[in-house]
Formats: sequence, structure tokens, C-alpha cells
Amino acid sequence: MMSTRTSEQAAKKLGIMMSSRSSSNGQAAKRLIIRNLKVAPRNEEDNFLSLWKHIDEAVRAIHESRPVSMSLELLYQSVENICAEKKSSMLYSALRQLCEEHIRREVPKLTLEMNDQIEYLKLLNRHWEDHCSHMVMICQIFLPLDRGYVLNNPLILSIWDLGLDLFKNYIIINKTVQTRCISGLLTLIDSERSGELIDRSLVKSLLTMLYKLQLYQPIFETEFIKSSEKLYSHEGESLLQTFEIPEYLKHVEKRLNEENNRLLHYLHPSTRQPLINCVERNLIGEHVNTILQKGFDNLMDDKRLDDLKLLYNLLSRFLNGVEQLKNFYSQYIKKRGRDIVINPEKDNTMIQELLDFKEKLDLISECWNNNEKFTHALKDSFEHFINQRSNKPAELIAKYIDTKLRAGNKEATEEELDKILDKIMVLFRFIHGKDVFEAFYKKDLAKRLLVGKSASVDAEKSMLSKLKQECGGVFTLKLEGMFKDMELSKDVMSAFEQQLQIKTSLSIYVNVLTLTHWPSYTASNIILPPEMSQLQEKFTEFYKKKYSGRNLQWQPSLGHCLVKGHISPGNNKEFQLSLYQTLVLLLYNAKDDLSYEEIFESTKIEENELKRTLQSLACGKVPILTKSSKGVDVHSEDIFKFNKSFTHKLYRIRINQVQLKETQEENQSTNEKVFQDRQYQVDAAIVRIMKMRKSLPHNLLVTEVVGQLKFSIKPADIKKRIESLIERDYLARDEQNPNQYNYLA
Amino acid sequence: MKVTIKGYTGVAVWKWVANDDTCGICRMPFDSCCNDCKYPGDDCPLVWGQCSHCFHMHCIMKWVNGNQKSNQSCPMCRQAWKIKEK
Repeated sequence: MMSTRTSEQAAKKLGIMMSSRSSSNGQAAKRLIIRNLKVAPRNEEDNFLSLWKHIDEAVRAIHESRPVSMSLELLYQSVENICAEKKSSMLYSALRQLCEEHIRREVPKLTLEMNDQIEYLKLLNRHWEDHCSHMVMICQIFLPLDRGYVLNNPLILSIWDLGLDLFKNYIIINKTVQTRCISGLLTLIDSERSGELIDRSLVKSLLTMLYKLQLYQPIFETEFIKSSEKLYSHEGESLLQTFEIPEYLKHVEKRLNEENNRLLHYLHPSTRQPLINCVERNLIGEHVNTILQKGFDNLMDDKRLDDLKLLYNLLSRFLNGVEQLKNFYSQYIKKRGRDIVINPEKDNTMIQELLDFKEKLDLISECWNNNEKFTHALKDSFEHFINQRSNKPAELIAKYIDTKLRAGNKEATEEELDKILDKIMVLFRFIHGKDVFEAFYKKDLAKRLLVGKSASVDAEKSMLSKLKQECGGVFTLKLEGMFKDMELSKDVMSAFEQQLQIKTSLSIYVNVLTLTHWPSYTASNIILPPEMSQLQEKFTEFYKKKYSGRNLQWQPSLGHCLVKGHISPGNNKEFQLSLYQTLVLLLYNAKDDLSYEEIFESTKIEENELKRTLQSLACGKVPILTKSSKGVDVHSEDIFKFNKSFTHKLYRIRINQVQLKETQEENQSTNEKVFQDRQYQVDAAIVRIMKMRKSLPHNLLVTEVVGQLKFSIKPADIKKRIESLIERDYLARDEQNPNQYNYLA
Repeated sequence: MKVTIKGYTGVAVWKWVANDDTCGICRMPFDSCCNDCKYPGDDCPLVWGQCSHCFHMHCIMKWVNGNQKSNQSCPMCRQAWKIKEK
């Protein structure tokens, strides 16, 4: 119980005025006295110490992982009490001291000499885990401290953070611990990289520790990236030397997957970028050129689609990677394409090879992830190399189509044929010299139509419409005109037959051509047997009557006949012959031996033609004549004899004209014709340039013209055109300098 | 040996019978058509005047119809333009 004195003291302390209990006159009025609540006096220091004693012991027990003797509930209350007595800061510093001491004691355990790195890591990890679990406990006990004191003092670390801070400052900051920890981790990761299995959870736990201590980035990540950098830069260089490219690419992919796995399993996500970057840069980025140079062509040659796809994906991570890949792609196309196009010995197979090449490239195009740049590169490169050799590819494309459209080509159905034509149109699109193509195509088409060799009218028409679609109506105007002539001839012939009425033993069919639509043919005068020339006359008359104002010119070189031959009794054959061949054979109705001179005199066939004709009859696959001299060439002193013992397994035989020499001449003349048409383009280019420049020296003008024209042209030809333009007063030579031209407005 | 011809497929090229290579009006060759046509032949015939000059029919019709009536003369020789009936 408290005495009054003490209560007064206490009251005084509290500042409450107390009235005196009695007055002198004894008649004191009754007063209400308020007494202060009596609080038990306490020795505060003692109280704190006695509470702390329990707490201290409990914390020590926790640190030593012993069971705590007191109930946690009581401990919690003690903390609460201490806090209630405003002794929080004292409590905090006592706790801090306690923990600090504990950690200090731990340090030597971790700096002991230890050879096994993994064991060491495990030890460290154990310490860390223990520390964490201790701190969790402590935090729980000291919750009131955390809530009441720490929260209100922003400068003071929470108890959990205090634990981390102590761990960081005493253990991890310790040089020995730090180096051992980091090098241990790096060794573990290295050994995983070289294919060993490691304890990933250990690494993960330690890395999480570093992250929580905010040391991940400064002490681990930098070292880690440095060591990865070293590993991969070495690996990139050495493996590129020893591995084939596909193998190498696979390896890079494997590496990337591994690193991604690592990120997934124990590295912190923030490392992703520097790490992946490091791998890519060292394995790919630094070696883009080497990789492409060493392996790209082979990958393309072997159509390694998967590898190419992988290559694209890997390179697409770099700024210039795809660009460089594209360049190699174009170069590859140009190189291989040029090989196909440039060699004259391979002319026969050029188109088929080009088609195959294109097909292959189309297949490979899948690998480029629909990148438009690659589509353009393909087009540009194709266009570039296919025009490296002027005119020839265009000519060969026309011929290729000819072989496909010609009768007797049974290798493809209509649909397949259409597909082939579509493919060939793709090649055609790349060709600059479309006029060359047109000239040769026209020539071949004429042959097909006139000799009746065309496989199918539908196919011809579909080809025509493809060309029309590609190059416009003007391009195909003449070709269409040719078909029109064929139709018209049919009408004319039926009208003629009606008018003729009497059936002759010799039937006639005439194709009447419009001059401008067809290739030009040289006219020649030959001697026809009377029955044929009469028939021809009759037709000419009929035609002139039907179409007034027109005249007909016969083209014997294009005529052909169906001929019946009685070679010996019982050996009858029918021949499909050219008109020239027919004329020669007809001579043998009178005689069995004829000299070259005799034949020439009686037919007047032009010399070269006659030689070819005789060659086809005597030296071809169907030797119906025998030649006196040996060898293939026909000489003017040769004598030709009818081959009585001629046999053939077929009844109806076609004897082809010998083509070879003719083609070369024809070829040249076709090319010349093309050039004639091109002259106008040259003229236009010259005038265009001069109109702009007003005055130019010869050399500059020539180079500019060459630059403007899409086809190749010899400087001498340009010079001729310039001269022609000077004659026509478009240009004039400069008076002072004859090498300079001035434009005349 | 006895050879007989059963059939003959000949080829002939038709040409206009004209006294000039090109039409005096459109300057195109007679063997091709006037500027407005696509195909020579019946689509774009020639006509001969009594003065013996000849033009694409389309060309001379344009000339005759486009001028005043007094000027219906041959553009080559300025004689009155009359079509020669054959």
C-alpha cells in the first residue's frame, strides 16, 4: 500500500493541486478530494533487465538453434511490455548487439580453409538458411517492436532488414567468403556448361541470397557475364575452326537453349539480356561474315532448309545480320545463276537448269520468314544474272517453249503443260530482251503453225494469253495476227474448194499470210512440176478475185507435201516431205541416177537449200537416196542414186530437213532483225539525253546511252545511230571540237 | 521408183498492189494498217483513186470528210478525189 506522503509526492509530480485537508476554524466545509490513481512504483531499469533476460536467452537459443525454453507468447508479451514502457530504442539496440555478436561469431566458421568448393557453398547456404529461419523467428517475437518503433522511424531498419544487413556486412562482404562464394558459383555453372549435372537448387538458393542482399548485380552478375564472355568468345573462335557450319549452328542453338534454361532455373531474370546478348554476340555476331562465307553456299547447295531457317533466326537478332544474309543470298543466286547462263556449252540444258534452280530457290524462300527483302533480292538477283548474257536466255526460253508446244511432245498432259508454261513465264519476266524473245518465239510459232506441228491450239492460245497478260496487247498483236491468218486461210480454202468443184488427184491447201505478222521469208523462184504450178495459178487467180487489190507471193521454202512412193513392187510408203524434198524425189520418176548439177538445173532450188535437202534425203535417218561420195557434206560433183533397197518399219515416214546450219543463219538474221527494231529505242535514248544535256562529248554520250538501254549494244552501233541522227538534223558536231555533239532544237 | 504427190500445203504471202510503199497520209506502210486499226487486210483496206494514188481507206475518208466540201481532192496531186472502181 502506498503512504499518503508518497501519494502527495506523486500528485505533486503530476501537477495536480491538492487542497489542504483541514481548515483552522474547524467548520470546514466538506470537500471532494480527488486522489490520483495510485500507480505502483517500479524500478524501470530492473524491470527492463528482468524482461530482457528472458528475451536475451531466447534469442541466443534461437541463434544456436536450440529449443526456446520460454513460451513464445510470453516473449511476445515481454516485448510488448518493453515497448509500452517506451524502451523500444533500448530494446532495438540490445537486439542489434545480440545479433551482431552472433554473426561475428559465425564469420570464422566460414573463413576456414576448405578445399571442396561445393561443400563450401553448401556450408554457406546452410548458414544463410539458418540465418533466415532465425530471423523469421526473431521477427515474430519482436513484432511489436517492428510495428511500434521501426515503422515510425524511417531511418531505422526493420528487424528483417537488420538481419540481412548484418549478414551482408559481416559475412558476404568478407573478402574470403565473397571470393569463395562467387568462384564456387562460377565453377558450378561452368561445369554445368560443360555438360555435368549440378545441384541447381543450391545455386538458386545462393543466388537468391545474393539478390536479397542486393549484391547479385554488383558482385555476381558482372563476374558471371565476364566469365561467360570469356568462355563464349573462345568457344566461338575455336568451334568455327573445327565444326562444319550446320553443326556449329546447332551448337549455338543448343547453347542458347541452355542459357535460357539457366535463366529459368536459377539466374535472376534481369540477367537475361546481358547473358543472351553475350552468347549471341560471341557465337554469332562476331562471326557473321565467317559463318556466311564458310557455310552459306553449302547450305544452299544442299537445300538444308532447317539449317537455313535456324541461320535466319539467329542472324535476325542482329542489326545487320539479316542484311548480310540477304547479301550472301543475292550473291549466291548471282553466282550459281551466272554459272548456268554464261557457259555456251550448257545452252541445251540452260532453261531446264534455270527452272530447277528457281524451284529450289522458291523452296528455300520458306526459310526467310516471309521477309519481303528476300523476295526482292531473289527477283533482283535473278534479273541480274539472267541478263548477264544478252539475248541468249531469251532465245532459249522461246525455244524451250517451242519444244513443249510442238506436237509429239507427249510427256505432259494439258494441265502439266500449263504449269510448265507458268513456270517458264516466271523466267521470262526476268528477261530484259523481251523483243529477242518475241522474235524467236514468232519464228518458232510460224513453223509450228505452217507445218502443222503444233501440239494443241488450246495450249498455244493459253501461252498467248499469258504473254498478253505479261507484256500487254501490243506485244502479242502480231502473234494474234498469225492465228487470225490461219483462221482466215481455212475460210478461204473452203471457199476455193467449193469453187473448184472437180476433185483433182492432187489436193491443195494454202496458208495465206499477212506480211507484217510473220517473220520475213526470202522469196525464191523454183521450178514446180506443171500440175502443181497450175494448181497454184488457179488459187492465185481465185484469191485475187476474192480480194481485189492484193497479190500473192508464194513461199516454196515453207511448203510441204504428202507423197506416195512405190519403191519396189509391194514396197509402198507415204512420205511427209518438204516441198524441196518433194521436187527432188519427183525427178527420180524419170531416172534412177542424177548428178547434183542435173538436180539443180531442173529444180532451181537455191544452192544451200538444195544441199541441205539432198543431205536430208541421202545422209539422214531415212536414206532414200545414196550419195556417190562418202561423208555428210554434199559436193557439186556428187551423184545421187535412188535407194531401191530402202525399207522402213513405218508406212508413213516424215523426213526432217537438216536444221543445223540453217539455225545459225536464221539465228543471226533474227538477231539482226531484233537490232533493227531496237534502233528506234537507241535513237530515242540519244535524243532524250541530248535534249537534256544540250551538249555532250562522244564518250559521255555513249556511256549514258548504254546506261539507259536495257539491252547490251556495241559502241560502234551507237556511233552509227548518232551519225544517222546528225544526218537527220537532230544533232550537230561542235564546230570547234568534232568530238562534241550539240542538240539542235 | 514412182512418186506421186497426194497433197500439197503451200504458203503464200499477200501484198497490196500499190504504187507506193507507204500511205501518203499516215505514213505507215501499206502492208500494215492505218493508225486506228490493229490488223491489216479486210479490217483496214486500201482504196485507189482515179488519179491512181492509193491510201488506207480510213485515212482518205478522214481527209475527205474532215475538209470543206470544196477541198475534196487527192492529197498527193490535188485532183478531185474519186474512187476508182475495179
